[in-house]
Amino acid sequence: MNRREAEKKLKTIFGFDHFYDEQWNTIDLLFQGKKVLLIEKTGFGKSLCFQFPATQFDGLTIIFSPLIALMRDQVKGLNEKGINAKYINSEQTPAENSQTIQDAIDGKLKILYIAPERQENQEWIKATRMMNLSMIVIDEAHTISVWGHDFRPAFRRIINLVKLLPQDLPVLATTATATKRVQEDIEKQISDDIQTIRGELIRDNFELYVIKVNYEDDKLLWLAENLSAIEGNGIIYTGTRANTEIYSRWLEFIGAKTTEYNAGLDANSRKEIENGLMNNEWKAVISTNALGMGIDKSDIRFIVHTQIPASPIHYYQEIGRAGRDGKPSKLILFYNSSKDENGIEEDYKLPKSFIDGGRPSLKNYIKVIEALKQEQLGERQIIKATNLKQTQVKVIRADLIEQGIVREVIYGRSKKYEYQFNAPELNSTSFDELRNLKLKELDSMLEYINISSSRMKFLCDYLGDDSHTEYKNCDNTTLDKLKINPKNETKEKLLEFRESYLPELSVESKYSKLVDGIASSYYGVSSVKNALYRSKHEDGGDFPDFLLRLTLKAFRKKYGQEQFDLIIYVPPTESGDLVKNFAEKLSQVLKIPISHNLIKTGVSKPQRVLKNGYLKKDNVAKKFTYSQPKEILGKSVVLFDDIFDSGATIIEIGSALSKFKVAKISPLVIARTVGGDI
Amino acid sequence: MMNEELAYWLALAHVPNIKIKTKNEIIVRLFERNKTIIDFFQLDTSIWEKDFELNKTELELFIDAKKELPNYAFMVEDLLEQGYNILPITSSDYSPTLKKNLGRTYAPPVIYTKGNLQIMKEKSIAILGSQKVNNNSLQFADNVVKNASANHKIVVSGVANRIDKQVLDSVLKYKEQSIIVLPQGIATFQTGFKKHYKQIISGDVLVISTFYPKSTWSAQLAMQSNAIIYGLASEIYVADSNEEDGTWSKVMDNLRKGKTIYVRESNPKEKNANNILISKGGKAVDIFGKLNNTAGKEDDESQKTLFD
Repeated sequence: MNRREAEKKLKTIFGFDHFYDEQWNTIDLLFQGKKVLLIEKTGFGKSLCFQFPATQFDGLTIIFSPLIALMRDQVKGLNEKGINAKYINSEQTPAENSQTIQDAIDGKLKILYIAPERQENQEWIKATRMMNLSMIVIDEAHTISVWGHDFRPAFRRIINLVKLLPQDLPVLATTATATKRVQEDIEKQISDDIQTIRGELIRDNFELYVIKVNYEDDKLLWLAENLSAIEGNGIIYTGTRANTEIYSRWLEFIGAKTTEYNAGLDANSRKEIENGLMNNEWKAVISTNALGMGIDKSDIRFIVHTQIPASPIHYYQEIGRAGRDGKPSKLILFYNSSKDENGIEEDYKLPKSFIDGGRPSLKNYIKVIEALKQEQLGERQIIKATNLKQTQVKVIRADLIEQGIVREVIYGRSKKYEYQFNAPELNSTSFDELRNLKLKELDSMLEYINISSSRMKFLCDYLGDDSHTEYKNCDNTTLDKLKINPKNETKEKLLEFRESYLPELSVESKYSKLVDGIASSYYGVSSVKNALYRSKHEDGGDFPDFLLRLTLKAFRKKYGQEQFDLIIYVPPTESGDLVKNFAEKLSQVLKIPISHNLIKTGVSKPQRVLKNGYLKKDNVAKKFTYSQPKEILGKSVVLFDDIFDSGATIIEIGSALSKFKVAKISPLVIARTVGGDI
Repeated sequence: MMNEELAYWLALAHVPNIKIKTKNEIIVRLFERNKTIIDFFQLDTSIWEKDFELNKTELELFIDAKKELPNYAFMVEDLLEQGYNILPITSSDYSPTLKKNLGRTYAPPVIYTKGNLQIMKEKSIAILGSQKVNNNSLQFADNVVKNASANHKIVVSGVANRIDKQVLDSVLKYKEQSIIVLPQGIATFQTGFKKHYKQIISGDVLVISTFYPKSTWSAQLAMQSNAIIYGLASEIYVADSNEEDGTWSKVMDNLRKGKTIYVRESNPKEKNANNILISKGGKAVDIFGKLNNTAGKEDDESQKTLFD
């Protein structure tokens, strides 16, 4: 098919008159059965480069994409054009996914989007035997490179697959963000004869700003005073899940319509927020970097980062979602440059800690290897056998598979990990190399903060785009700098917010009489953490009175004038009478009788020594009972504990007491951890 | 041989209704012309017809197989990811004994394995028996494994019957190395992989299958896997056989081909056909696997070399 013929069909199917030259060059190569790497900026129209040929091939085109939101949007768009496309991902029910697979087998689909992780699914693998395959597409191909900014181990299998495909099967890899090194890595991994098409990366509708601050509160204050003045709707990225909640609550507090989004939300909530973002329901969605990649919204007018991303590539990727319609869009990056007692800048610490904590210690790798030398284990069994956190086990597992030490083997419906005969020794050199690379990239991000020349030029240079153009539109070139100068009234508002904002405990379930509870603070708040630690681990005596004041305030805010019959407390494992004494004080002040009849039925370890939720749950399972069941029959009780971490203890007690027909259990704790930071 | 050829190898190996010999002839011709399996699948069908002498039906079957190449790529990726080895007959890891014993008529173009490949290069024995083995046969199997262990020969075994179970138990008892030949596809042997896990990861066991990886057990595959057991073994011992079972026909077939088969001499009360096998050319051995003294001079000579 020549270009003229193709453009006729393009008009009929997609409604466009012409291809861009680079689009046609890509499509033409795919028609010849070639392998192509396409590096083009967001909004260029990369999708058309596989969607169009997919409509022209006989069989099915499979698109491996890590972006669920993108799958959803693109499938919707394709279906509206009458093209049979579907997706398979974790958002759908198993029955829906199975139906999609069957449609693919039956030849009813032209395009199938699928998450790379699905390559580990046996139903899918079995089905691939029966499909008529025409083309393979790897979207967000930078994720296949360990040198890329967002390496995903599941993509390793896609690369292995691509290498095994027949030589004349067309393969397209696409990305908007690949440095020269990542480009070379992708080329090397996919095929010796891959052809690369690279476009310009400049986004000249971007207005780039950096705001340096000296206090964390400055970020909140600036947003409170300026957010409403920024045109349109957008995204505010935070560095942690906890901050999505805090920023969102604050902005709601001052009257801005916002919501928070992070990977901790369930699939339905995430979908709802993504849809809401598309429909401009909120001024801003406050999110970790879990949101944005793959959101096909052309008019995101601003993106604010309250914390620096890990590298200029991450930054380019994350801001890349703004202004796809080509209209001016504001990209604002906050940086807290105040230094601690060691001379380290505040906002350097979080991304640095991610790098430091990115890989578990070698000792933990050995633990997993030794466990697997004894027997085949599933992921949960490894977690239990090694007392490691699930996140650590996931990283270790991926590395050990990558190095050929361990394999993931299918046993019926479950997966087990097997140590391999003749396995190589663990090679930690590559870990060090990657760590050094990440540190270097973080330093480059700091360079972006501190440069006095064009910010867009810096990003383009960093990504290996050496085209020559005029760079403007940043606070170092043609735009005025944004400054922090908060009004007293805003500062007072913030104080008021701080006083009233309390972390929730989500423990409500239909299986027990527990309701969601409240904490007086996050554990990470230094004064609270230090006070709890001193009392619990340094013989510092009872919990200090300021914690009592905070806890009472939390109680009143959450439960108001609600009537309770009893206060009970979690019996101690190692803290002696600290919790009991504190509960007695609460009882006196609140004038609610206290009961000492919640007791332990067996020995358990302190929860803090257990590093994952499975072991914490097992540790407290069936360890509690109530010695005078009649006392709580039909009663409404306050259940008090000092620290809420995984929630396993509270949930277990809730389950135990519910059997005695308690009417309601309302949890109250001094502090709640975030992500197990205890 | 690069992994990128594997999907092509599977496409060739699993073309249905074409004899192994025809497939191996293609491989030999490619080898002689210094061509790869990828080259073969990229050739025009007229060349397949002319140079590889494929008839019309075979051509159609190969055209279908070519269409399935992307599908095989998915399967290969999955098998490799799970730690299985896929060995085409041209691989240096493919068992030389199997290739030699079965020849181009029967040697499977592809074998699937898990474990220590080096085991396939060692001298090997196999012990065969019928479904109705007695204690003498089981004791015999144990003794032969013990001897093999002492003489650094590995043991080839199936997983189907009581003799196999005895052999595998004895292998474990004498810390012997073994090849387990499956009567099913390699991806359906989960229970066995669990059972032999420690032996596999320590390099003492290699599991082999020649069938489509997802095939489940069937009597037909069990018969076919017997041929692979014979093919992998340098020496064959018969613990127990009668005239109706599969062992009998295979042993007779091998005797006709002039292969040396050692048969346990049974006492007159035993209900088996061991002594008939001996009368038809099998070498009589006692319950310890030693050549029977009554067997004569020629056998005495053999006794010296039996466990070399």
